[in-house]
Amino acid sequence: MRILLIEDDERTAAYIVRGFGENGHQCEMLADGQDALYQATHESYDVLIVDRMLPGLDGLALVRALRVAGTMTPVLFLTAMSGLEDRVEGLDAGGDDYLIKPFAFSELLARANALGRRPHVQAEVTKLRVHDLVLDLIRRRVERKGQVIDLQPKELKLLEFLMRNESRVVTRTMLLERVWGFNFDPKTSVVDTHISRLRAKIDKPFDVPLLHTIRNTGYSLHAPS
Amino acid sequence: MHPHRLFRSTPFRLAIAFALLFVCAFLLSGFVTFNLLKKELDARYYNQTKELFQIISQTYGDSDIQDVIDATRTHIVATTDKRNIFLLQAADGKILAANIPALSVPDGWSRRLGADFGIRGGFAYRIYAGNVGPDRLIVGTNNQETDELQEIVVTSFGWALLVVISLAIGAGALIASRAQRRLDAVRDTMARVSHGELSARIPLLGQGDDLDLMSRDINIALERLSLAVESMRQVSTDIAHDLKTPLNHLRMTLEDAVLKQAKGEAVGPELDLAMAEAGQIDETFEALLRIAQIESGARKSRFSSVDLSDVLSSLREVYGDVAEDAGQRFVFDTEGDESRVVFGDRELLTQMYANLIENSIRHAGAGADIRLRLFVRGDSVHTSLEDSGPGIPKDEHTNVFRRLYRLEKSRTSAGTGLGLSLVKAIADLHGATIWLEDAAPGLRVVLAYPRAASN
Repeated sequence: MRILLIEDDERTAAYIVRGFGENGHQCEMLADGQDALYQATHESYDVLIVDRMLPGLDGLALVRALRVAGTMTPVLFLTAMSGLEDRVEGLDAGGDDYLIKPFAFSELLARANALGRRPHVQAEVTKLRVHDLVLDLIRRRVERKGQVIDLQPKELKLLEFLMRNESRVVTRTMLLERVWGFNFDPKTSVVDTHISRLRAKIDKPFDVPLLHTIRNTGYSLHAPS
Repeated sequence: MHPHRLFRSTPFRLAIAFALLFVCAFLLSGFVTFNLLKKELDARYYNQTKELFQIISQTYGDSDIQDVIDATRTHIVATTDKRNIFLLQAADGKILAANIPALSVPDGWSRRLGADFGIRGGFAYRIYAGNVGPDRLIVGTNNQETDELQEIVVTSFGWALLVVISLAIGAGALIASRAQRRLDAVRDTMARVSHGELSARIPLLGQGDDLDLMSRDINIALERLSLAVESMRQVSTDIAHDLKTPLNHLRMTLEDAVLKQAKGEAVGPELDLAMAEAGQIDETFEALLRIAQIESGARKSRFSSVDLSDVLSSLREVYGDVAEDAGQRFVFDTEGDESRVVFGDRELLTQMYANLIENSIRHAGAGADIRLRLFVRGDSVHTSLEDSGPGIPKDEHTNVFRRLYRLEKSRTSAGTGLGLSLVKAIADLHGATIWLEDAAPGLRVVLAYPRAASN
């Protein structure tokens, strides 16, 4: 992936650039909002990572300007502004995701991956398929190897999110935000509980596991390689 | 009081304005009354003059002027003070009977000064002239009585005005200075508060009037402010203390790692621990910021109608399995079929209940029953969350809502000590009352919301 990072703190920027580099991505860095506006409209990137407080042009204004200019590159806000309204503002301005500092690099990587490889216009699909697991979105029914699996509504939502992000790592926070609508960190093992219930239903009775735990990061649903 | 300040004082200005208004009203009504009176008196004198003329002229019969002359003379004799004038003149100009020299006036009504026919005193006369047979009769009445009456009226009116003005100014000043004193007391108190004396309060008269009500409201606001300032002071101290400890832990962990590194040992566990400790510090900060934001009330602008049964059943779905894994039973009951719609923020309400439910799951222990209930009592929507765990000692029931407060026994377990403060902040934002009860055994957390008006 080709990523443009707009961040004025040098240490943070260097840390992120190195991190993406080590994971096989190409990450360029700019510290000024004005420069970034020019660069992002004249070059092609897969993801923009934008700090909200920037010299020149602040992050919100930058993204608004980009959207007005017709640049639809996915934007991930990476910011210390953790207020309840700040997230809403960021997403309203045209951001696609919002990650709060301090953050774990694995979280940023997972989110950038999810944004970057997202097909820009998703064709209307009625069935999701990973290996021999099939989710019928219209009948809200799950089958594996032709065997119907009975899932609770929340489990179905969880599975749908995992299947839509097939082969990508999804973090706990991503699951909490997207599946349960929790913008806070629960003190109990909500995610683990539901993942293990789901696993017991879709993996346990079958010989090939599809749902994998990625240590310290999250989960990934994919076919055996 | 300095005269300059006097005119800037609202009560004084009001008093002046009312005194002026009062005086104007008095003058206006006096003017109207006076004119009505004058008109009435004038009419009466015109009538009297005309009547005199008619009485005299009616004595004329059979072309005999003698009776008229006699009647005129009788009237002249009866008039001692020249109040009335009479003049009976023959067609050739000869005066037949008169108390004034010859006078030429047109027929009908006319007006002449007394000086015109040698009467001093400066009175004016209303004169009626007409023919009686071949002769000419003139009858007039002066305005002395009207003038005297007018004078009396004006004089008494003047005195009354003096009384009214002094009363208005006196009473106004009295009332104004009383109100001013009370306003000054308010200003005094505010000045003391702004100089840091947060315990200063406005003295109340206990009359329940508007100034008292306003003073009471200001006192309540001051009370809240001083509580907020006090709690802020408390929080900064607590933060300093509560963040120092984990920072110190982090430092020790890193020191261990450095030492081990120097000896060539693996430092993986220390680094994991350091990460967890940094995460804990971040979490405490985040929670404090969030509470402060919620308490600022800005979130209220995003309030909408929220059906509590939706929020709670969705949480039951999320936490039912979590509780089961912890060896507990978590049930959710709704009672009755009234509306459980409250006005609020769904995201915050979800977070608040998640917090409470997680507290129960974490502290109630294996085998506990956790019961969430939703019911309507009168005009409020109640929820109660009850567990059969060890509960909280009764004397700690109010303390647990304090920021960074943690029960001694939970000091060692994970948690920021901010969970219930956050819950309290969210409840307050929604105008809900929250309290703890002893569920014997266990703890019951009750929340009572005002029910959203149904449209």
